[in-house]
Amino acid sequence: MGISLHIHSLSKTFPGQVALRDVALDIEEGEIHALVGQNGSGKSTLIKILAGFHQPDANYVVSMRGADFEIGSAAAAHAAGIRFVHQDLGLVEGVSTVENLALGFGYHTSFGRRIKWRSEAKRAKQLLLDIGFDIDVRLPVGALGAAERTGVAIARALQDVDQGVSIVVLDEPTASLPGADVDRLFDAVRRLKQRGISVIFVSHHLEEVFEIADRVTVLRDGLVVGSKKIGELTMDSLIELIVGRKVLAKSAQRSINEEATPRLAVTDLFGPGINGLSLGVRSGEVLGVTGLTGSGRDTIVGLLAGAIPRADGRVLIDGEELPNGNPRGALRRGLAFVPVSRVRNGLLPMMSVRSNLTIANVERNKRGWRLSHRDERHETQDWIAKLSVVTAGTEAPISTLSGGNQQKVMMARSFRLSPKVLLVDEPTQGVDIGAKEEIHAFIDQAAADGTAVLVCSTDSTELARVCDRVIVLYRGEIAQTITRAEGLTAEAIDRAILAGSALAS
Amino acid sequence: MSTETKVAPKAAMLTRLGLDRFSAIYLFVGFVIVFGIWKTDTFLSSATFKLTLGENVPIGLLALAFLIPLATNSFDLSIGSMCSLSLVVATFLQREATAGVPNGRSFVMPGALSALIAIAVCALVGFFSGFVVVKLRVNSFIATLGVSQIITAVVLKISDNRQITDAYSKTYLQWGRREVFGLPILFVYFIIIAAVIWFVLEHTPVGRYLFATGGNVEAARLAGVRTDRMIWGSLVASATIAGIAGVMLSAKIGFFSAATGPGYLFPAIAAVFFGASQLSRRPNVWGTVLALYALSFGIKGLQLVVGAGSFWVDPLFQGTTLIIAVALASQQGVARIRKKRAA
Repeated sequence: MGISLHIHSLSKTFPGQVALRDVALDIEEGEIHALVGQNGSGKSTLIKILAGFHQPDANYVVSMRGADFEIGSAAAAHAAGIRFVHQDLGLVEGVSTVENLALGFGYHTSFGRRIKWRSEAKRAKQLLLDIGFDIDVRLPVGALGAAERTGVAIARALQDVDQGVSIVVLDEPTASLPGADVDRLFDAVRRLKQRGISVIFVSHHLEEVFEIADRVTVLRDGLVVGSKKIGELTMDSLIELIVGRKVLAKSAQRSINEEATPRLAVTDLFGPGINGLSLGVRSGEVLGVTGLTGSGRDTIVGLLAGAIPRADGRVLIDGEELPNGNPRGALRRGLAFVPVSRVRNGLLPMMSVRSNLTIANVERNKRGWRLSHRDERHETQDWIAKLSVVTAGTEAPISTLSGGNQQKVMMARSFRLSPKVLLVDEPTQGVDIGAKEEIHAFIDQAAADGTAVLVCSTDSTELARVCDRVIVLYRGEIAQTITRAEGLTAEAIDRAILAGSALAS
Repeated sequence: MSTETKVAPKAAMLTRLGLDRFSAIYLFVGFVIVFGIWKTDTFLSSATFKLTLGENVPIGLLALAFLIPLATNSFDLSIGSMCSLSLVVATFLQREATAGVPNGRSFVMPGALSALIAIAVCALVGFFSGFVVVKLRVNSFIATLGVSQIITAVVLKISDNRQITDAYSKTYLQWGRREVFGLPILFVYFIIIAAVIWFVLEHTPVGRYLFATGGNVEAARLAGVRTDRMIWGSLVASATIAGIAGVMLSAKIGFFSAATGPGYLFPAIAAVFFGASQLSRRPNVWGTVLALYALSFGIKGLQLVVGAGSFWVDPLFQGTTLIIAVALASQQGVARIRKKRAA
């Protein structure tokens, strides 16, 4: 079999950061090629370059079936026969499969530009049958199952396969799929392979890589650290390649009273993504929570804080039970919470730094009936100084601050409540290095003040830096616990995440 | 500040002159000068001044009513018909009450009582709108549009689409027609109510919660704000204020017609959105009041110029000035975005 896609000396430099360094990659015809690496390893940059979203640095060599081509535009990738199914699928849920397939391609029409619905439906049906899905193509896509939706996205990418599609890129197609649906998807992927189409498969789930891939290329810190046949690898050796050796981050030193009863106690918690979880966090302790997307890591903080109603189980702070699905009730019982994705869940976009900071307890600055703006300004000024927030002042709209400074305001909003329990979800997402360390120092400070802290993060270096103990979730349960005494390093956490499935069983 | 120089020259000039945030004041002064010269005797008379101040109070109250739910990013489109509901209840209660008494004038209580009942009825309907929006999860735009039509039906049913002129006692009408300190009393009521709403919105926690709910409802909820209660409460408040507007209208004009009320919806909304481009650049009380009177004095002047048959002046004027004012305010926003891109 020949080489389908050949990449050589491909680099990409972002201002102040090298994302990819001299990447070489060969995709053979009809192979399933897995691309793996941690967050920030450069694999999404590579995919985005192929898709034409980013322009690579000069002096690269990319050829398709021996013919050179210029990458860096969506049209060039399309002409070269590369198709993409992105993680979010890009489907319009309210309309049917037929209409989704027509997006960006148009319809076949007859006289008077009347859409030939019947023949369009027939064509859509056939496209989906080709990859193994027998579905009603007239149903709105939102009514289909997760695997079926992925199928529709693949069918859409492949609908002009006769025009010479040779590579399909599947970017984390299984991230939101339940187990049984993964098998259906893999059947579809194998059908593509039988038709001589190569598949680039991006995934965090290593057991899936072993199940389906022919070859694996591993990226780490922008470098290709290995490209091997699947038979040459074991789970351990693959993890070793992905994780590599990491410098030990400076970490917090704390002494926690091991005998103390937990301030935050969770028993038999059930809810979206979580299946019977129990845990406890003591006063002055920082517990880390991590796991793959879909492991429960992404919903646990919301469930504990009452943002997402829990199906069953109890959450107690100092023995007092928190009401279910009631963020205000949780707040009043001493729980403060910095939610994930601050733009959606945290910021009040049109309002000032002051209003954003004080919103969780406005009453504090009430003098009689009147809210004292002056007292609020003084208080805000103190927090700005304490967290070294870069802002034009207390009255500046929050939207004028950088991401890191916005996040500091979000942290201050919670810290000022002097909470008994503090939950922080991805505290440094989209935050620059300097602000990151300051946020970590504040988590240390909260613990030193006797708060029980739970940090949920996908950044293992961060967890190793701030936590006393880290639990790794897999399918809604605790797969492994790593304590400081056992050697809490980013590498150990990464291994535990990647090997989650093996350890859970 | 050096930031001034970085803004595009055109926008910088707009800012310096305050054309973005104070266009209503410029407009107001401009009208007084232009129409003052053009129609000196009629436009500059104190009668015209008082008339314009007084007759726009119901619209102004409806604008304030619209403003409160708008702070939570909810729309109350039922305020116009809510005003006529209040009017019909106040009128027909008094009519029934005075009908049986030989000397209606000596019978004062029903006037005050019927006014209170009218306002309470509106508050109750507002509570229902809140229920539909919060509990049944109907978009406020649609919910209040529906409620508005239902109210219209009730008004037509009660009034049988008649005009009523003899329902009110002299004492009752005095509430709406007197002058204090040389100002129409309705205008005084209006300024007092505006001041109360301003205080609540800008200087109490409740006001903060309302704007937080409007800014990002999920973020506000997660920060412990009872967002459902804020939306619900804001709809009760807007209905109550619309009810007060209806009562004031009855005491001022002294007759009832089912056609009064719904027509005030657009001018009220125009004042709010024009006002939102003024002062603090978000829906706010004094910006709304300012916008309302800038518009109404302009309309008054044009009416005097055009003379008889000038009905078309109002909507034309409201539409045009609304667009111009908001466009001026957006220039600033556009410049800011350009500056950001350039940076």
